Amino acid sequence: MSQLLQAAAYGVVQGGLLALVAVGFSLVWGVMNVINLSHGALAVTGAYIAWELNQRFGLDPFLAVPVVAVALFVAGYAIQRGLINLVINAPIFLTLLLTFGLSLVILNGLQLLFTADDRTIDTAYASQSFAIDTVNIPYGRLAACVLAVVITVGLAAIMTRTRLGRAISATGMDRGAARLMGIRARHVYAVTFGISAALAGVAGTMIATVGSFNPTTTPGQLTLDAFVISVLGGLGNTYGALVGGFVLGIAESVGGLLLTGTWVNAIAMAVLIVVLLIRPSGLIGKAQYSGRVEV
Amino acid sequence: MSESRLALILQGRRRPWSESFAAWVRTRSLANSWGAIALVAGVAAMLGLQQVIEPGTQRLLATVFMFVALAQAWNIIGGFTGYASFGQVAFLGIGAYTTAVLMNNYRVSFWLAMPAAIVVGVLFAVLIGVPLLRLRGHYFAIATLGFAEGSREVIYNLTPVTGGGLGITIPTFGDQAPTPYFGKPGFYIAFLLVAALAVAVSALLARSRFGYAMVAVHEDEAAAGAVGINTTAVKVIAFGVSAAIVACAGAFYAFQQIEFYPENVFDSSFTVLMVIMVVIGGSGSILGPLAGAVGLELLAQYLRINFGTLNQLIFGAIIVIVVVFFPQGVVNFVRDAWRTRRFSVLDNVRRYRL
Repeated sequence: MSQLLQAAAYGVVQGGLLALVAVGFSLVWGVMNVINLSHGALAVTGAYIAWELNQRFGLDPFLAVPVVAVALFVAGYAIQRGLINLVINAPIFLTLLLTFGLSLVILNGLQLLFTADDRTIDTAYASQSFAIDTVNIPYGRLAACVLAVVITVGLAAIMTRTRLGRAISATGMDRGAARLMGIRARHVYAVTFGISAALAGVAGTMIATVGSFNPTTTPGQLTLDAFVISVLGGLGNTYGALVGGFVLGIAESVGGLLLTGTWVNAIAMAVLIVVLLIRPSGLIGKAQYSGRVEV
Repeated sequence: MSESRLALILQGRRRPWSESFAAWVRTRSLANSWGAIALVAGVAAMLGLQQVIEPGTQRLLATVFMFVALAQAWNIIGGFTGYASFGQVAFLGIGAYTTAVLMNNYRVSFWLAMPAAIVVGVLFAVLIGVPLLRLRGHYFAIATLGFAEGSREVIYNLTPVTGGGLGITIPTFGDQAPTPYFGKPGFYIAFLLVAALAVAVSALLARSRFGYAMVAVHEDEAAAGAVGINTTAVKVIAFGVSAAIVACAGAFYAFQQIEFYPENVFDSSFTVLMVIMVVIGGSGSILGPLAGAVGLELLAQYLRINFGTLNQLIFGAIIVIVVVFFPQGVVNFVRDAWRTRRFSVLDNVRRYRL
């Protein structure tokens, strides 16, 4: 029983981290209908920036978050404005391919700069934990989880309460109509991608704090997780990624306890296929996004 | 046209096979057989080339031929039918493992194991295609990706049959071998024939009634259904044909590799390469995937040999550049440019720009 509780608690804090990875991915997918295969690469880029800041100046990763966010926002804005906007109206595989090519460039660039070694940002608190009854909760993961929730709530507030957020939502719903209302779609798309990249960078920083990362296996895993969580939670709702992240985090950690061998790796995929078949719009997503036909 | 045949057509019935075939033979001429002639000439040229190149180069070209077959297979479901599958590698793995399990555990000849691999691949395609082909766009893409990852895990955990993470070995030497190993020259010919077969199947499908049905499903599925096309059947058959070609390539790949692991034959970069080759070459055509597979695989090999650690970076940059400048695929761009006499690449970039 206590083992199960421990697994569930770990699942919750891990779920928060996964949600942070997915929230930006889900935003771009919902608004622009682009599956950003370079999302994991951008997250790892953020992790390297935070790692470098920590190595050079001894900056705490949580203090590095704003720096990483700004740097990746600028990079993301430029990528969308200069590249992805050029093929945004093309059939879906093209944006997939473009972002795939982009991630190859980013990751191999990072590998040349930093080698393929596993890295981690060492802090005094990441490995410490506190206990509630028999359940151990690590400080680092808890802080990352809290940050994820705060950021998601903040993003939801921006999306519903500010002019910019409403412009993004409007462009996502009907670009033509939004442009007729005077919204600069190119700029709005670029800002959206910038926000997504910034969130990816923050997520990468957190991953570097609570675990390790490298430029070869981490990015693909992150992108895949983001994908599964976005589908699971559903598009068109900022909280979708949060719900999806928690569900996947708990499912994987409890599943890891109950299943033998490497079956746990199949959990994400099994969950995904079941959700797609039973409720394609995700747990709390808006149906219009899953019915959208991409041509 | 005789009155009875007109009546048949008006009633929407098909002509009998014998009559269709006779009509097909009658209408053959040099002008409409150039595709078949080119295919035969290409195969003959490649067989001639084999006589003058080293075994190492033969192995490299065998890989190119395999990718030609894989790209053609992906083009049937992704290009013609418009369902971007990101799980076609599952059929490569299923084909490879069916062959290896039959040859290793039951000492079955390769020439029986290979057709069995195709049958198993098609069975899985139908089984998984019926529910998954209800999904569209990105959702179909990710569901098929999930299928591929899931099947790898199943193979991985069925250790008693498949060897699991320890891999599987096909016996190739001595009395243990159910079929003698082909060697580099043998696999060169084998993959060449698989590629030629894939091109031929693709070309015949594209010109057939079924081919038009696939394109109709791609263009507008609701409208296709409204004019009487059984869209579910079309999608599932296209998925099955694609799976059959991939599973066949997988069977030969397994035999060529001799020893392999689940992560080798379920490697999602196979799927990614198939997609890239088709899209960069030009999807929905025969020449596009062919040119894409040959061009990109040769390019990748060239970069690997000459640029060492930089090769992936350059490969990625080339993908980005080609996607931006030739979003409809290089072959489709050249064909349209030739027809319309508009060769400006910058105009082409404006096509899909926001």
